[in-house]
Amino acid sequence: MLMGLLPVLMIVTVGMRRAHEEREDAQSVGPTLAELKAVGRSADPVEEIRRAKQTRRFPVEIRRPTGPPVIELTEPDPLGRMGRVACTTCHSVRPPNLSNQQPSDLDEFHAGMPFEHGRLVCYSCHNPGNADTLRLADGRAVEYPQVMTLCGQCHGPQARDYRRYSHGGVNGYWDLTRGGRVRANCIDCHDPHVPRFPKMIPTFKPKERFLVTTRDDHTPGLRFGGGTGHE
Amino acid sequence: MNETPSFPPQGSGSPVLSRRTAVKGACATLGLAAFGAAISPLTKLTEDISAEEFLQQHYQELSAKDKQKVFARLEAETKEEYGAEVTIRDDRPIPGTKFVYAINLSLCNGNGKCVEACHRENNHNRQTNESYIRILEMPIGTMDMGKGNITYSHAVPAEGKFYLPVQCQQCDNPPCVHACPVQATWKEDDGIVVVDYNWCIGCRYCEAACPYHARRFNWQKPEVPADEINPDQSYLSNRIRPQGVVEKCTYCLHRTRRGRLPACLEACPTGARVFGNILDPESEIRWLFENKRVLILKEHLGTEPSFFYFFDE
Amino acid sequence: MDGTPSGSSQTTGLLGYFGFLRKSLWLVTDGSLLYYAWMTALTAIALVGAHAWAVQVTHGMITTNMTDSVSWGLYIANFTFCVGLAAGGVMMVIPAYLYHDEEMHHVVIFGEAVAIAAIVMSTLFVVVDLGRPDRFWHLIPFIGRFNWPISMLTWDVIVLNGYLVINLHIVGYLLYMQYLGRRPNPLWYVPFVYLSILWAISIHTVTAFLYCGLGGRPFWNTALLAPRFLASAFVSGPAFIIIVMRLVRVLGGYTASPKPVRLLIQIIRVSMSINLLMLASELFTIFYTGGEHAAAGQYLFFGSHGHYGLVPWIWTSVALNLVGTALFFLPAALERGNVRIAACVLCIVGIWIEKGMGLIIPGFIPSTLHQIVEYTPSLTEWKVSAGTFAFGLLVLTVTVKLITNVLTGKLHEGVPLTKPEAVETA
Repeated sequence: MLMGLLPVLMIVTVGMRRAHEEREDAQSVGPTLAELKAVGRSADPVEEIRRAKQTRRFPVEIRRPTGPPVIELTEPDPLGRMGRVACTTCHSVRPPNLSNQQPSDLDEFHAGMPFEHGRLVCYSCHNPGNADTLRLADGRAVEYPQVMTLCGQCHGPQARDYRRYSHGGVNGYWDLTRGGRVRANCIDCHDPHVPRFPKMIPTFKPKERFLVTTRDDHTPGLRFGGGTGHE
Repeated sequence: MNETPSFPPQGSGSPVLSRRTAVKGACATLGLAAFGAAISPLTKLTEDISAEEFLQQHYQELSAKDKQKVFARLEAETKEEYGAEVTIRDDRPIPGTKFVYAINLSLCNGNGKCVEACHRENNHNRQTNESYIRILEMPIGTMDMGKGNITYSHAVPAEGKFYLPVQCQQCDNPPCVHACPVQATWKEDDGIVVVDYNWCIGCRYCEAACPYHARRFNWQKPEVPADEINPDQSYLSNRIRPQGVVEKCTYCLHRTRRGRLPACLEACPTGARVFGNILDPESEIRWLFENKRVLILKEHLGTEPSFFYFFDE
Repeated sequence: MDGTPSGSSQTTGLLGYFGFLRKSLWLVTDGSLLYYAWMTALTAIALVGAHAWAVQVTHGMITTNMTDSVSWGLYIANFTFCVGLAAGGVMMVIPAYLYHDEEMHHVVIFGEAVAIAAIVMSTLFVVVDLGRPDRFWHLIPFIGRFNWPISMLTWDVIVLNGYLVINLHIVGYLLYMQYLGRRPNPLWYVPFVYLSILWAISIHTVTAFLYCGLGGRPFWNTALLAPRFLASAFVSGPAFIIIVMRLVRVLGGYTASPKPVRLLIQIIRVSMSINLLMLASELFTIFYTGGEHAAAGQYLFFGSHGHYGLVPWIWTSVALNLVGTALFFLPAALERGNVRIAACVLCIVGIWIEKGMGLIIPGFIPSTLHQIVEYTPSLTEWKVSAGTFAFGLLVLTVTVKLITNVLTGKLHEGVPLTKPEAVETA
């Protein structure tokens, strides 16, 4: 009985202390803060932020797939229908072949697809029991929109950095009291089958006024053309 | 020799004197006329610079009303000279904010999207592809920029290279601010070093003082097509700069002081850029600073940048 | 010339001084055909420069070949050289007043004239380097916003203008007294002479601090910069004075005592030796240690990464300085001869390169991102620089002419300007 009451009591006391603190804050900081705002400076920035956070915060949205992938048919299916089909359309009638490990093992639909993802095989991630879901290492199924859970089980440091915004693209507001954010999903940047970030061609180069050409070696290719234009 | 001095040209002189006087006078007139002709190109300039512009006070001395007038004038000038409707605002630091930027050098692949985004966002001169960011391609195994190259144009990332984007580091001990003889550049409360483009005299001492190649001079009037002008402007950041003044990265204060992320960060396809308020203990930049090993560019110079680089472990 | 008051009635005070200036102006515009040709040529060059500058201001500094990497060029290089010339100009003053060398007193004033012209040129070189000369008023204390004391450039503005004022005062006062035929009152000029000696050192020191205070520019960031500036200034300044004295003797008809010039040569010998010693010391530090500090030195002396833009300049400078110094050490330099003049010219050109293309430009190459962007001055920059030098020489010619007019007695309080020809033949 006594043991049961203890947590309740603790919650109550903690709650009271919090309320008390907040009152104190309101009393001591309130008027000065208004003053400080007037001159555009803050004495205690952390306090300022804490207060700001009590106000409404905009959501952080992570882009994600809406569901399992669908395939545009390029020719009519055996029943003569066109359109988009789900994975299960085919895979529900074909038993999974666990010996298929690499694209080279495939001789039908997926033949020739690029695949370079460490030593993973198809069913490392795809669920043999339900083609419209994915599968974690412990055998639990994961829906496609939650694909990041699947990535995170191997890529721990990246998943941690992602949670802390040290990995992955962001758009929107740094200040969530003013606006929300949209974040990229793992698969926005990394093709799960070929996760290495693709090579890019830098197309935009600033010119140092006289930089006529760019040479692709160590030496910056700078030439002087006397291009003063107004002589 | 002891006659009373009859200093010229009192008219009563001999014919020799009057001839001399006439010749001297003619020469002086001719000289002045020639001087006037020589500097006549300046007349175009004097037409362009209005009295209000010439007499405009330093930004920090402008009252709210003055600012309104100045901004309206600048907006009208942009309309007239560039044909674009723009809004120039006066974005002030948010109390309790100190902006810090970080770049993950393990992720950056040198693709230059940030360079381009900066160019568009900040209404840079289209002729030179100007941008506040330069990216060095560096061989792995060194931090010696002498081994780096900024003019690479091959597919990136190249084998054995890493990429080091450099822009204004918003130093806490900024040599450029110390150098300026007229206080046209200063550090604001949120850490941003800004320039009053209407106060800068264009001596470029700050450009010599900056160890990060962060400052740019407007060697000519910037050329930006009307439809490419970013109309969302701020007096201290991306409004179209006048000819002959120095400009620099402001962490896109016209965005960041309104809570948004900088343009270069949003443009980064690799997600290598992290930005935030270091004073917020829960901010992402704070977590990064506390949990990653960061490095500072040219730390030995004591400039105390608000810009860090880090690698994944 | 002996200091006894002339018999005529004198208008003293400010009014008299203005009268003196008006008369001087009238007399300095009289001269031989050669004199007129010289003045016309200088005016023409100055006008070409003024036009080029006007175009530069209107179209923007795109007309120069400076870049964001090499953001200072020929203008600031010439500015640095002219500051040295100005500082060196008062080298005559030190022996004259510190050691009470009476014979120097008449020569001193030529040194001051060189200083005045050099300061005018320095100031002009800063003005033509400004992107917005229309905002020059921002630099005026109390009217603009003067970032003193933190910005070294504000110190430079103060010392350069102060120096100009001091020298104008000394020259003006001494000449006026001579013109009135009075003995100058030491109270009115001796304190200023001592001040100008200190001030001469300060202008070049502050100018050196302008560069060596920048941590981001390893080539400049050396404590030896200010002493080197002074040493080279004490060569170029006196060398220039020697040339001026020679011209004054040949063309102006005023012959000064040979003793002061001998002293100047001694000064040059010592200063140039010190300058070369410090240069050697600098080179040792750069090339023995290597590393980041050596990058600019490497580019300057030997070229780097296939860029050799400054190599011919610096070796020319080294050669001129060495040959010039060797000539100065010849006994023939002490005689009145062409050896001395040749030595002066060689050293002046050598130091002009050393302070400009050899010091200001390599400070920017490689850039702070360690990239090599080379620099060659554009035609506009050459025109503007030539125009500025021409204007400086105009100022110098007028001042020197005025001085010789006074010292030779052509111009004094009682002179009747109605018969200038009579004075010339006298």
